[in-house]
Amino acid sequence: MTLAAACLTSDPSARAFYRAALKGFRLKFYPSAAAFLNAPPVKGLAVIDSALPDMSGRDLAAVLRREKTTAGLLLVLTGGTYSPADAALCLENGADEYFPYPPDPRLFRARLVNLLDRAGVRACPPPAPEAYRFGALVISPEARTAVIGGRRLKLTALEFDILLYFLRNQGRVVSRTVLLEQVWRQGEQAGPRAVDKRIEALRSGLGRAFGSKLRTVFGLGYLFKL
Amino acid sequence: MTSRPKVLVVDDEPDYLKIAARIAAKAGCAVVTAPAALPGVALAEKELPSLILLDVGLPDISGFEAARRLRKVPALAKTPIIFFTVRSELDMVSEGLKLGAAGYVLKPFDPDELLRRIKAAVFPA
Repeated sequence: MTLAAACLTSDPSARAFYRAALKGFRLKFYPSAAAFLNAPPVKGLAVIDSALPDMSGRDLAAVLRREKTTAGLLLVLTGGTYSPADAALCLENGADEYFPYPPDPRLFRARLVNLLDRAGVRACPPPAPEAYRFGALVISPEARTAVIGGRRLKLTALEFDILLYFLRNQGRVVSRTVLLEQVWRQGEQAGPRAVDKRIEALRSGLGRAFGSKLRTVFGLGYLFKL
Repeated sequence: MTSRPKVLVVDDEPDYLKIAARIAAKAGCAVVTAPAALPGVALAEKELPSLILLDVGLPDISGFEAARRLRKVPALAKTPIIFFTVRSELDMVSEGLKLGAAGYVLKPFDPDELLRRIKAAVFPA
């Protein structure tokens, strides 16, 4: 069977790299997210440039992964500007692989072939990571626990949800309004002051070392970066 | 003296309006803002910005409808529009990009990412 991949990039040198590294693959090129979303494939492999002209690869991967029809796509991000933390976020938000660009051609090809080999056994989107680990801090979304150095933190359900939201949106400024929309339970009346109170409680629960990573961005909201 | 490119930011959420305006200013642009779509369209016709940052879920009409109206104004027909929104459904993203958006940025956004996109739109290489 011929291996196939959709390659999303507007960069001619990246197109040349893919043609050389993935020789023998059936490649289809898309210069933008718009071109790809016009008729996105529902299965197979998509190699996505992290900086498409109209959308970031990270955002596009998150969109494709959340959508039922495209959730089974194998998503590989490539890019030159992402830090290790950004790359980790790409993977946590739905990408199957991340390569700084240009990747080593042989390693790139081998990983893609392995991904495609495994694709047959994957019928549903990848599970969320079992645990986020940041040094001594371990957060398990499934078990809904946060542990520092073996000591389980006492967080309310809402504080835990806020923590998860920040983890999934690390490095992004999150306003109080967005927290209220995205994290507070529907129907629960709350305002910006309630958010501030919960953030204070969360900081306190996380202790000095990790609580300080949840920064107030004056006049805008909060930013979490570990 | 060369005048700075002007960016119009349209968002009903004051925090995001401030964040986006601050980032556009950091990119070296003059900034005008509107808290809803219809005032945004009117302001765009008056100010003729170089770039429009447009939320999608606005209180009067949607950002997409606002973009359609902007496109009908000859002086704004080719002005780049970047949608920035929490709407991450594939249909929504696809519709926004089909409207000819220069970009589609999901909230909460990475400030550096928005800065890059603003610079690319107002200072094309």
